[in-house]
Amino acid sequence: MTELASRFIAIPDVLSTSPVLAIGLTLSAFFVGNWLFARLGKPLWMPPVLLSAVILSAVIAVLSIDYVRYQEGALWITVLLGPATVALGIPLYQQIHHIRAMWLPIVVTLPLAATMAAVYAVVIAWAMGATPEVLASLAPKSVTAPIAIGITEQLGGSVALMMGGLLITGVVATLFVDLLARWLPVEDERILGFALGLNGHAIGTARAFEISHTAGAFSSLGMGLTGVFTALILPLVFRL
Amino acid sequence: MPMLRGFLILVLFFLLGEAMRVLFLLPVSGGVLGMIFMTLSLMLRGRVSEDLATASQALISVLVLLIMPGVVGVFFMASQFSGQWLAVAVALLLGTFLSVLTTLLIMKGMLRLSSRGRSND
Repeated sequence: MTELASRFIAIPDVLSTSPVLAIGLTLSAFFVGNWLFARLGKPLWMPPVLLSAVILSAVIAVLSIDYVRYQEGALWITVLLGPATVALGIPLYQQIHHIRAMWLPIVVTLPLAATMAAVYAVVIAWAMGATPEVLASLAPKSVTAPIAIGITEQLGGSVALMMGGLLITGVVATLFVDLLARWLPVEDERILGFALGLNGHAIGTARAFEISHTAGAFSSLGMGLTGVFTALILPLVFRL
Repeated sequence: MPMLRGFLILVLFFLLGEAMRVLFLLPVSGGVLGMIFMTLSLMLRGRVSEDLATASQALISVLVLLIMPGVVGVFFMASQFSGQWLAVAVALLLGTFLSVLTTLLIMKGMLRLSSRGRSND
């Protein structure tokens, strides 16, 4: 009987040797998170990403599954982020007439806003006594994850801290865009989408597609341009 | 089948992006390069095929699912930055508030400026 019990306890550990467990847990948390989000009345301060991630983390901790092993299994899901980024080119093309009509505001806003997104955070953290390693991890906070990883490594920051900053930035950027849109006010979906993608990368873009197809396309554009611009500029600035 | 055919096209563009990144030592990820190539090739072609539309819609609708495992990492981060959490938190919250405000104001101002310029023409 005790043998059966010990085998029962070992189940999560044995199953986690296959990626199927990580995929099953991630998918379950995704659906539970979405269901809970709808039940809670779609609160802006608790987006489905955060809700699902909290549930998933709790389950991983409770079942004491090795975190590194979970990430290895979850690679089956995260590799799709590459083709998904390419897929953003399709709404971008479908909205190209909107983008052409707005090329001047975009060209002026992008370098300024993308630079300030990094500068505000780095200057505040520096003034509060953060180490250079932390500063390097915060700098790419508005850049989409695959590009940000490359930038952080180049600058000598911590990828784990950067990913944390990225998540928080994405969530609060989504919140602040919704908040400031009402407060300023800004109603133009194109501006909201662009601000979501520029500041809140993939998390902001996921939110923008909830607003409308146009907002989503502008968000994809903002995210892509910010990623490219920051990747080119930041390593040069940090060398100074 | 249409979904898989579309997915194959996305994968090929991603691989093309990665190949270009490696070849020219670009600091930009293969996904973003692939996205740029995709947009350019669609502009040349002038239309989106059914396969590509199906596959891209499917992937975009589960974008949140794809970033979840990365987000989970935050909760398992070692406490190697203890003592700097306040600086990090303030930098992220205040910094993001300011940058969102900056983006919205510049964009709004520029849009008003360009529409006024057009009406004066």
